[in-house]
This record gives sequence, C-alpha cells and structure tokens, in this order.
Amino acid sequence: MATPYSHDWRAVCEKFNNAQYLTEVESRKDPENDPFRSKYKARELLREIYCSLKNFDVGENENVTEADQRPKEQPIDGENDGRFGTGHCGHSPAGSRAAKLGAVEYYLGVNHVETEELSAGEEHLMNCMTFLEKCSISSENVSLFIQVRNQLGILWAGRDETEKAQGFLETAEAMYNRYMKEDGHPPMDITEFFVAEEDSLPEQERTKRFEMAYTHTLYYLAQVYKNLGLFEKAGSYCHSTLQRQLEFNQFIPLEWAINAATLSQYYITKSRYMEGRHCLSAASVIAGIAGEVPSEAASQENEAEAEKRDQLRQKRAEIARCWIKYCLNLLQDAKKLLEDNIGELDVDRQEELRAARRREEEEKERGRKNAVLFGSSDTFDSICSLEEKVSCVFPLDFEEARAIFLFGQTYVNQAREYFEMDGHVTDHIEIVQDHSALFKALAFFEEDLERRCKMHKRRVDMLEPICKDLNAQYYLLICRQLQFELAEIYYEMMDLKLAVANKQDDLDAHTVKKFNHLCSSSVKFYQMFLDSVRSPEGKWPEKLEDEVLRPALVAKFRVARLHSRFISSSPTVQLENLNRSLECYDFVVQYCRDNPEAKSAIETELELSEEMVSLLPLKMNRLRAKLASSN
Amino acid sequence: MTAKMKELTDGSMQQQQGPNSCDSDSIKVFVRVRPLTKGTGLTTDGDKGQCLTVTSTNTILLNSKPEPRPFIYDHVADMETSQDSVFSIVAKNIVESCVNGYNGTIFAYGQTGSGKTFTMLGPSDSDNFTDDLRGVIPRSFEYLFYLINREVERSGNTKSFLCKCSFIEIYNEQIYDLLDSASASLFLRENIKKGVFVEGAVEKFVTSAAEAYQVLSMGWRNRRVASTSMNRESSRSHAVFTMTLESKETAKEVVNIRMSQLNLVDLAGSERQRDTHTEGTRLKEASSINLSLMCLGQVIMALVDVSNGKSRHICYRDSKLTFLLRDSLGGNAKTYIIANVHPGSKCFGETLSTLQFAQRAKLIKNKAMINEDTQGNVR
Repeated sequence: MATPYSHDWRAVCEKFNNAQYLTEVESRKDPENDPFRSKYKARELLREIYCSLKNFDVGENENVTEADQRPKEQPIDGENDGRFGTGHCGHSPAGSRAAKLGAVEYYLGVNHVETEELSAGEEHLMNCMTFLEKCSISSENVSLFIQVRNQLGILWAGRDETEKAQGFLETAEAMYNRYMKEDGHPPMDITEFFVAEEDSLPEQERTKRFEMAYTHTLYYLAQVYKNLGLFEKAGSYCHSTLQRQLEFNQFIPLEWAINAATLSQYYITKSRYMEGRHCLSAASVIAGIAGEVPSEAASQENEAEAEKRDQLRQKRAEIARCWIKYCLNLLQDAKKLLEDNIGELDVDRQEELRAARRREEEEKERGRKNAVLFGSSDTFDSICSLEEKVSCVFPLDFEEARAIFLFGQTYVNQAREYFEMDGHVTDHIEIVQDHSALFKALAFFEEDLERRCKMHKRRVDMLEPICKDLNAQYYLLICRQLQFELAEIYYEMMDLKLAVANKQDDLDAHTVKKFNHLCSSSVKFYQMFLDSVRSPEGKWPEKLEDEVLRPALVAKFRVARLHSRFISSSPTVQLENLNRSLECYDFVVQYCRDNPEAKSAIETELELSEEMVSLLPLKMNRLRAKLASSN
Repeated sequence: MTAKMKELTDGSMQQQQGPNSCDSDSIKVFVRVRPLTKGTGLTTDGDKGQCLTVTSTNTILLNSKPEPRPFIYDHVADMETSQDSVFSIVAKNIVESCVNGYNGTIFAYGQTGSGKTFTMLGPSDSDNFTDDLRGVIPRSFEYLFYLINREVERSGNTKSFLCKCSFIEIYNEQIYDLLDSASASLFLRENIKKGVFVEGAVEKFVTSAAEAYQVLSMGWRNRRVASTSMNRESSRSHAVFTMTLESKETAKEVVNIRMSQLNLVDLAGSERQRDTHTEGTRLKEASSINLSLMCLGQVIMALVDVSNGKSRHICYRDSKLTFLLRDSLGGNAKTYIIANVHPGSKCFGETLSTLQFAQRAKLIKNKAMINEDTQGNVR
C-alpha cells in the first residue's frame, strides 16, 4: 500500500480533487450541446485512480476480487445481516484498500448515473457493495456503506422497483442506528479516502456530513413509503426528516416552515391534533426567524426587498391559514362528538366525555413523550410556549370552544392582511368562508338562542356583500357556495326565532315581520342558487349535473318548506304560499320519478316530499272551504 | 295541523353523506393521429411500423406488449380526418358558446412532430385564410367574426361587440408578454369582477379574423425570437392566446353587457414533461445545496387526505397555468383538449405518455363543492 506521503499517493489525491471540482463546479458551465463534458473528464480521472489503486502493493495473503470480473452473487439488501464484525477490520491494509476501491467504484457509479448511463452506474455501485463485503463497518467506511445504498435506492426506485429500493434504504437506516449505538464517533467522510492526512476534516464537519447523508436516507424512505401507499409511515418519516433538518441546522427557514405547516394538515385530517399543533407551532416559530419583513417603503425602492417582503408575508399568511383549519377542525370534530340526532348539544355525552378526558390526561403525558418533538437548542422553548396558547383536546363547553375560536380568529385577521380581496379574490373568500365556519361551530356550543342567532347574523354580514359583488361567470362555484350557505344561515336563524317565539305566549307584529323576513331571505338565496343551474336562456336542465344534483333538490325542498312556514293572517295569502310550497314538493317528487338514479341522493327529503304532496292538497281544501264560508 | 303533519315537521333527520361528491365532465378530449411522413427530416421517416390503431371514433389501441391497450376518449380522429372536421367537432361549439357569453378553452398537446402546429395553425407556408388545410385557429377566428356580424345584423344594430386579444407565454413559472417583447415578467392577479388576469399584459383590439390572426402571428414570431435570444426553448413553454369578447345590447333603455373569453393554449411539448412530477415512482434527490430537500413538501402534500371531507389548507400554490385557466379546468367553461400523436413505432414512448396525459386530463374535476350540513335541518 502506498504510504500517505508517497509521491504516487499524492498524485492520486490530486486527481481525486480535480475530479470533484469537475463534477461539482465545472459541470455547471458545460455547454447545452455537450452537457456532460466535465463529467466525462472526471470519469477518466476516476478510472486512472482506480488503476493506480489496483497497482499498489497488496498485503501477502490478501486476495481481492477483481472488480472487472462481475461478482457471481450480487449482494442484495433487504434484511440486515450482521456485517458488523465480519470481514476485515477497517484498519487492516487489506480492509482499507478494499474500502478505497469501493469508494472509487461509488464515485464512478454516481458519475454514470448522472450522465444517464444507468446500467453502467448500477454495475459500479454493485462493485462498491462487493468491495464492502470484505470490510466490517467502522468509522472509516460507515458513510460509504450508507451512501452507496442511498444511491442504489434512488436508482431502483427510478426503475419502478420500489421494493428493491426499500431494501437498500432500510438497510442503510439499520446500519446508521447500529453504528450510532455501538461506536458513534464522528465517522470519516467519503471524500476523505483520497486526502492527505493533514487535510482531513474537523470532527464537526464529519458529523455534519454523516448526519446529512442519513437525513437523505430518511427523505428517500419517506418517498418510497409514499409510493408504496404506506401513508402513515411516510408521514412519520417526513416528520423525522424535518426534525433532523432542524436539529443539525441544515434547512432553509421558510421552506422548512411551509413543509411543517403542510404536515400539520396531514395530522388534522387524521384528527391528530397534538401532532398538528406541534407542527404548526414549530412552523410559526421557524417562519419567525426567517427574517424581518421589509417595510413597504423599502420594497418600493428595491426589487430584492420587494421580493423578500412578498415571500415573507405570503408564507406567514399561509401558515396562518393552516392554523385556522386547525381550530376549525378541532371545533367541528368536537361538535360531531357532542351532538344528538337533531344537532343539539347532548348533555349526557358531554358528561361522558368530561370523565373520559380526566382519565386520559395522565395517559396523554405519556403519549406526548412518544411523539418526535421538533426543536433545536435555540427554538425548542419558543415552540413549546406557543403550543401552550391553544388546546389540542376537544372543547366540551362554550368557554373552551370560545378560546379555540378566538385563537382561530386572530389568524383569520392575520391571513386577510396579506390575502386582500383585490388581487387575491379566491384566497380571500376562502378565509372569510372559514371565518364563517368558525362562527357556525362556535354557535353550536352557545346555549342562549338569541345570542346564537346573533352569531349567525355575523356570518350573514361577512358573506352577503361578497356574494353580491362577485362575478358568477368567473366564480360560479364560489357564488353557489355562498348562496347556499347564506340560504342555510337564514334558514337556521328562522328556526331559532321560531324556537324563541314558541317560548312566548303570543307573537307580536314585530316578531312576525322579522320571522317572515328571515324566511323570504332564505328563499331568495336558495332561488339564486337554483337560478344558477339554469341555462343562459333561463331553461331548467333536463338532467341535473352530478355536482349540483343533491344541492339543487335540497334547495327546492327547503323552498317548499319555507313557503309553508310564512305567517299570514290572510287565508288568501296562506293559500298562495301553500300552493307555491306544493309546486316545489311536486318538483322534487317528479324529478325523482323521471330520474330514478337521483333517489339515493335525497332519500329522506324525497320521502317527506311525497307525504307533503299527498297532505297539502287536503290542507288547502280546508282553507278554501273556510274562505268560501266566510265570504 | 294534523298529527301526521306535526310528526313530519318535528321529525329528525339522519345524517346524509357529507358534501356531495362531484363529477364535472366539462373537459373533453380529442385525439388526432397524424399520417406517416416521408422526407420531412423527422426521425420517424421511413418508419414503417406503427404503434397504434384507431378502432372506432372514440377508441385507440396502443400496440403494447404483452397485449394491446385500449384508450377511450370523446373523439379519436384517424389519419384521414380533414382539418374541417377537426374544427367542427372541437371548436365550433366552443366558439358559439363564446358569442353567447360563455368562456371556452382549447388546449393543444403533443410531442414535437406529432402535428400540433398543423392542427392548430395549418401548413407553415400558407396565408392561412384561403388554404383548405388551414387549422383550427384561423377557422375559429373566421367563424367567430361570422357569428358576430350575424348577431349584429339580426339585432338591427342594437347589439355591438368589442374584441381584444392578449398573448402570453409561461416559461419556468414566469410570465412573459408576447405582444410586448420588451416587458419584464408579469404577475397574475384576481379581481372580483373580472376573474384571473395577467396584470399589465398588452391588449390589442381587433375587428376581423385577419386582424386577430395578425396579432397571433406577431406573438408567435416573438416567441421564436425570445427563444433564441434569451435561451428559452419554446417547446418548454406554454403559450396562451386570449380573446376577450364583450357584447353590449341596448334594449328599452337598458344596457346589457356580457363578457366572455376564448383561450387557445399551446402546451409545452410532451417530451419535455419529464421533469415534472408526473413520473410516479422516481425519487426526488436531495439538491446539491444540501440544505434543501426540495420536494419534501410534495411528499407531505400527497399524504394529506382530500377524500374525507375535512377542511384543510395546502400551502403550495397552483402552477401559473392552472391558476390562469382555473375556470377552464372543470368550472363553467367549455374545454377541449386536442392531443396529437404520431403513429410511428419509434414514438411509442411519447405516444404512450401523451395518451396517458389526455386520460388524466379527463380526471381533472372541480375540487370545490357545495357544502351543506343536512343534520337537524328538518325539524
């Protein structure tokens, strides 16, 4: 073996340095029509290094497999075989020679892959694996053990052989864990096979590179698991990847924050609020350290400042929107748990859940310790203190719900500052719709009907102006959503007013007027929605499109009910209302008769409509008789 | 009130399924197979083997191993199909709707050499208005102005039309104005009255098909110039030509204004789609900066379940193209995608990816829906 100071060895190191420079720096300047020029040059140098290494002395009793003979049995990863403690130890001349040859093969493999010669690349990488077979894992070569598997994982995934990729990557993962348990010294980096002793890296740098290689292993595994449809596993690997980026300070703050916020959305759709809250708190803290938002004045002077200002404001608004969804889902899930079959709060359930919560509190502490926590030494405390500002357990009464509502509302205001109506119509309206949904969920917890009504009125006040100004031609869907929601809010308020009135003995004119106003407002918005289904010529479609089938029939059904609800002392007006009501019920029944496939979409409403179609005429006849006798 | 009635009005209602699922079929796909060529210098010259067969007006058979694979679309046109019939099937209806106030979009998609330009514009050396081989775009312009003139005559001049064109290019998520080659990149904005628009894009008024075509040609030339001078490849950019049609009708002192848009979109060549994330199982590698694991966000995004009806926010913005044409992709607009394929067996790979893209396009659905909460509403 050439000693580290021999002339030959220095020439090898020199060549390796050049090859690295060509690959990483020069190659970026390669011309379009010769894109791999520098990489081909680097490849030549690597081949020369390989030949020199082969010609260096070998220890007497060592037989090294010729790399140009294809090994008979390709090592296949997949289960972690005990490679610790077999083969040469890293310090023996033969072991270190095998590792060096393996390293050159590794670089040759990567070089071929990068120049789109996959099969040749695979062959070199597998040769690297063969050389490593002769070595036991040590701090000299553990990086190479892991990185060659990372590369093979990428290669096989590219060929649609996901399970094969999974095998290599999982082995790499196991090797890392075992090395950290059994040795744990900052290992040598794969570039250090070819540097003179005096140029070796400081320990800190070694650690950084090694940990990064392992972070990449997890990042690739996250993708492999996603491709295999193992979503939960993929989620936890994404989580670990993010945590390691933070821990080793290898991240771009805004990018990291957005990824953590996105992960929170995964958790909340799975009703895992503790993890969701943790991701969001971390996202907020890290977005906070991404820099100060340049002032508007500064951004008008300089384009870079303007870009930075927009980026920071936008990303923070995005994170705010993820927080809104967190609060909204937490409230809505709690509502689902607590409501009885007519959508009112079920007191028995409430008591049950309170007791269950007391039991869980101790366990929660334990569960918390199992989850991977985000944070580096600098950020951990800030993340925890932000978490404490909002609960992650289901609210069980108005006070608890209100705290979550208010937390969500601060983020509504923050998000709206960036997503202004002018310029961001869709985003702005989505935020307002969420705000309305927050009110709706909160109203469920409110016991006082009058105050509940006021909350719904707040929803009307925020949605109605938008609905009026929005151009339905470009925003048809949003218009429909708003119309339908407004119709429902008025319907809800009408119900509440009725419930309040039922507690009083007699209805005064003012109450009646208000009640009728709510009814007609609800009818108006249902009607607007129904009109949007018509063709430009004002014709009703023969067949309703799938996406509006149920809403349209429900709207007809509601309009029918609303007409029969109007309060009037005049029998003539009563008769008119009932007549309209009957027409709408009839429409629903008739439509389902003509299109039987629609029945399943509105079973309950259809059943009620059919009954009303048979009952209403009787009621109307009685009214007519009354009218005739009074005249 | 009868007891029966009371029961009805007090009766509760079981929870129905949540938000209704949506199946918007507003996107239609037209696949056109070009004839085999001789002496055009294409790599496929003299290639006798064919990789596909048109088996009916909506089925195409791809001769894949081990067994052929059928693909079904709204319409499949074989090599014999005339330019006129392509126009009649794809564009006629869209242009008519446009005059009636609807928005319409026609996408052209396919690899270089699959006949995209021929389908959309026609032979490159013609004046495009007398030539029998003129493409969908010149024919659409003619038909549009024919309809406009007819409308104006019919209404006894109480109706008038105003037609504006803009032409932009999206390259690498940046927007460039093809009618003003000196402009820097532009921004997309939204307005409560006019929807999504490119802020600051030049708009040219046109009064005839020939003028509209002139604007188009000028932009097209700019696209070439830009691609040579600024190192942009036109095959890697999307070009969007938009005609905005405003009709004004005065009847009994009431002025009724209607706006509509016709978008003609030339999508980046399908052979350039490799670098998008349509690739399925390939892993995204860590970038050389080593700080950035660029696509981690996309992995996470794929985990966020959209099907369970829960409300969630995704921080990653739409691509500029989908944002601009949001309305066309499953909204209330009429949309047709023309996918051009080459039958040569050497093009098998590209043809397969084009056919798959066109199938995915059929799946684009409007993700928004009308939420309604049916619980406890019938009391």
